[in-house]
Amino acid sequence: MNDRMPHLWRLAPLVLIAALAVAWQLPEASWLRLAAPDAAVADRMTATLDSIGEEPRVLVGFDPDIGTYAETRPTVRTLLADLLAREARLAFVSLTAEGRALGSAELARFGREEANPTRLLDLGFIPGAEAGLVDLTRGVRLPDEGDGAFAREVNAAGIGAFDAVLVIGGNDLGPRSWIEQVAPRIGEIPFVAVTPTVLLPEVQPYLASGALRAVLGTPRDGAAYRETLDLGNLGRLTDPSEPRPLPLLIGMLVAVAALGQALGARAIGYLRASRSREAG
Amino acid sequence: MRRPTLTALVVLVGLLLIADLLVVNTALGQLAGIVVDAAILVAAGAALAAVGALGARRIADLWRRRGDPVSAALVLAGMAAMLAAGLRPGSAGTGEPAVQWLIAALLVPIGASLFGLLFVTTLAAARRSVASRSREGTVLVAAALVTTALLVPIFGGMGTWMADAAGWLLGGPIGAVFRGLLIGVGLLTAVYAARTLLGMAAADE
Repeated sequence: MNDRMPHLWRLAPLVLIAALAVAWQLPEASWLRLAAPDAAVADRMTATLDSIGEEPRVLVGFDPDIGTYAETRPTVRTLLADLLAREARLAFVSLTAEGRALGSAELARFGREEANPTRLLDLGFIPGAEAGLVDLTRGVRLPDEGDGAFAREVNAAGIGAFDAVLVIGGNDLGPRSWIEQVAPRIGEIPFVAVTPTVLLPEVQPYLASGALRAVLGTPRDGAAYRETLDLGNLGRLTDPSEPRPLPLLIGMLVAVAALGQALGARAIGYLRASRSREAG
Repeated sequence: MRRPTLTALVVLVGLLLIADLLVVNTALGQLAGIVVDAAILVAAGAALAAVGALGARRIADLWRRRGDPVSAALVLAGMAAMLAAGLRPGSAGTGEPAVQWLIAALLVPIGASLFGLLFVTTLAAARRSVASRSREGTVLVAAALVTTALLVPIFGGMGTWMADAAGWLLGGPIGAVFRGLLIGVGLLTAVYAARTLLGMAAADE
């Protein structure tokens, strides 16, 4: 039996993938709900977007990382669609190579889904990390093809043309860098962000201080935000399918079982050793 | 070895950028702009040099038959494909459909898959950490266990209570530890930077 255990452990990832595939096909369970029970975080984002006025010009700092983008992607796409539904004009800029790759892919997707091109502006990639952010506050360099009304406004007023900043975080240059480098150098405009959960402890102090007006930082808050929206025709710009709670639950239970078994074995070993010492 | 010229340069640039942030002055702003542009050029050059060094290293690996030849060939093929798609005459750069395809069909799924593998490898590492009887490892794994269990997406009163508890854990104790680490790193960075600016420590100390 013991000789077979290592082989069984090697099969465990395959069994997990098979279980996740089966769970993906099963119907939704009524006792599972991905959206956060308290929609306060989602409401805060909606209230902030409501407060930035009609047809806002929004600068989108698009720097997610490839690894965690799967976690934030449904929320990012829905938020961008929500902004377009509010007649917002979006200018995308990236300060990391990964962010540029993903941002470029998202802009191409907007093109395929026939989003209004006059409301989108690709400001491209700015090298130099924090220095690049500082440079952005001094002047916005437009691409050659940027000759529409939105581009002319940005060309004339630079970063002052924008009514809000949306930071899609995940990489090193996330909301913290934007708040540190950009916020002190420009006027009072709202900063909002979407980040993976791992960045939540980093952005929470800025949220508490008001430097960041709203953050969607967990999959459950993102799901609560997505639930509140009715984007109509622009729903085509969002992810075609929502994350399924059942596969997530299975993955989490596997993690809990694996960690619990290790901790349980350690506790039993500790108790046995204690008893042996007492007996000795 | 101390380098007074480098230290003086760092002091001047630092003071210039701080002054530009605090004082509204056109000439000062233009001078700070030149410094920022120079920093961007240096960073861009360093990034290009790093990519070049990676390519050169992989070519040398293949030429001298050291390391893993398959991975070296794959890295070079990937770089060549991306460069050819993005830099060929008439290409739209990152907006080129071939570049978009390489990103959307290969780069993103491969990156996400590698990150997905972390689920298995992190669990294995956590179990090994507990098995090694490391006290810190046990505390770390116990905290992860509790947080993961509380984040289970259950509907109803129990689910609400668990979500509230998870929120308190993430925003309270875990957030405090994380922020404490960040503050510690920030303080050390500030102290080291001040020592460098004041010439108390060489840049290559």
